[in-house]
Amino acid sequence: MSWAEHGLECERCDDAAAYVLGALEEHEADAYREHLAGCAICREEVGQLQAVADSLAVAVTRVVTPENLRARLMAVVNGEAELLNAAGYEADVPTPARRGRGWRLLPALAAAAALGVGILIGALAIGGGSTTTTRVVTATVVSPPGYRATAVVRRIGSHLELEVVGMPAPPRGRIYEVWLERGTQAPTPTDALFSVTHSGNGSVGLSSDLNGVSAVLVTNEPLGGSPKPTRTPVIVAHLS
Amino acid sequence: MSDMARNKRTTESATSAALRRLADEDLMQLVRENNAAAFAVVYERHTNAAFSLAFRMCGKRAIAEEVVQEAFLSLWRSGAHYDRTRGSVRTWVLGIVHNRAIDALRRGMVQDRGRVSDEGIEERVEAAERTEQEVDRRDEAREIRAALGVLPPEQSRVIELAYYGGFTHAEIAAMLDTPVGTIKGRMRLGLKKMRSQLRNAQVIS
Repeated sequence: MSWAEHGLECERCDDAAAYVLGALEEHEADAYREHLAGCAICREEVGQLQAVADSLAVAVTRVVTPENLRARLMAVVNGEAELLNAAGYEADVPTPARRGRGWRLLPALAAAAALGVGILIGALAIGGGSTTTTRVVTATVVSPPGYRATAVVRRIGSHLELEVVGMPAPPRGRIYEVWLERGTQAPTPTDALFSVTHSGNGSVGLSSDLNGVSAVLVTNEPLGGSPKPTRTPVIVAHLS
Repeated sequence: MSDMARNKRTTESATSAALRRLADEDLMQLVRENNAAAFAVVYERHTNAAFSLAFRMCGKRAIAEEVVQEAFLSLWRSGAHYDRTRGSVRTWVLGIVHNRAIDALRRGMVQDRGRVSDEGIEERVEAAERTEQEVDRRDEAREIRAALGVLPPEQSRVIELAYYGGFTHAEIAAMLDTPVGTIKGRMRLGLKKMRSQLRNAQVIS
């Protein structure tokens, strides 16, 4: 027997209908989701009303999708599938223009980079025509036992972005520092210093004259950085 | 056409035919493994329902196309989030479309929200009733429209403004000059009545 059949009500049951219809403000919906976690009566109410709300989606007049939408969509999907499946070969793929989209590509890029393979990707704004070229390059990561760290270095013109996943935090009192290496010359320091979150993720960007730069290195250094590397690199990404 | 190209096309055609025999849930497993051909089948199965919903909500073809494109790309990129224990792929897809359309409505991309489009009624081409499943779906749609249609107007109106118009309960309250609590109560009463009718008609369990 249900809560309702027992005559039990929660004062927030009226929110259930607005919730399943998408009619709560975002912050109200978040608060109601928290409430649902602890209220079996409202969970039951939402469960019952959700099916009705979902049914409204198919009650509309049927209209045929324009043909060209499939071609546009599949061009993006096929490109991404090629990269995700190849991860290790050069591939041209569309990359979303908006931040936060395309996150699913990152593991593949990271995996490819960890394998020591460079990937060239072209960024194509969905629905638009602007293109920029991003080069994702080799990154070898030396991580201690128990960690499976990966790193991706993207070069966009004179800008570099480094993204790490699964990296251990630098030792207490130290920080990761990014270095640029030109041929056989000693690495030059940059002002790009970073640490990682508790889950091992981190990123840093730097804009610099990248002429002649053959590799990007990361070492752990005293807080504030060092003028010369004091440790062996934990990340090595060859740009050429 | 070269032999190689002909063989490639034959292989692709056979693969596509095999995929079309799979259930949505099995296709989603392949989508999780980055199988674009499986994704194409999911798209073909649900695109008309998705576009119809987006068009009903946004009333403009261009915006509806954008909503559907964003929704399917989101499905492709987050296929791992699909949980078959929480409903059908169709419901999941339409839920994504609904959320995206609400985003578009609330971003102000659509004027005259909540108003059924007058953008060329002649464009509302009914999909051909080719399969038994499509006939069933059309019957189901009729039942749901009927359940909405028999509600007292003040209840069906708030449900339509919320679900299809993307308005919040507070916006509807202001629009109808009615207290928020009354609006929420009407939504709930209306949905409960619909539930009872749709259960009797075995449209929902």
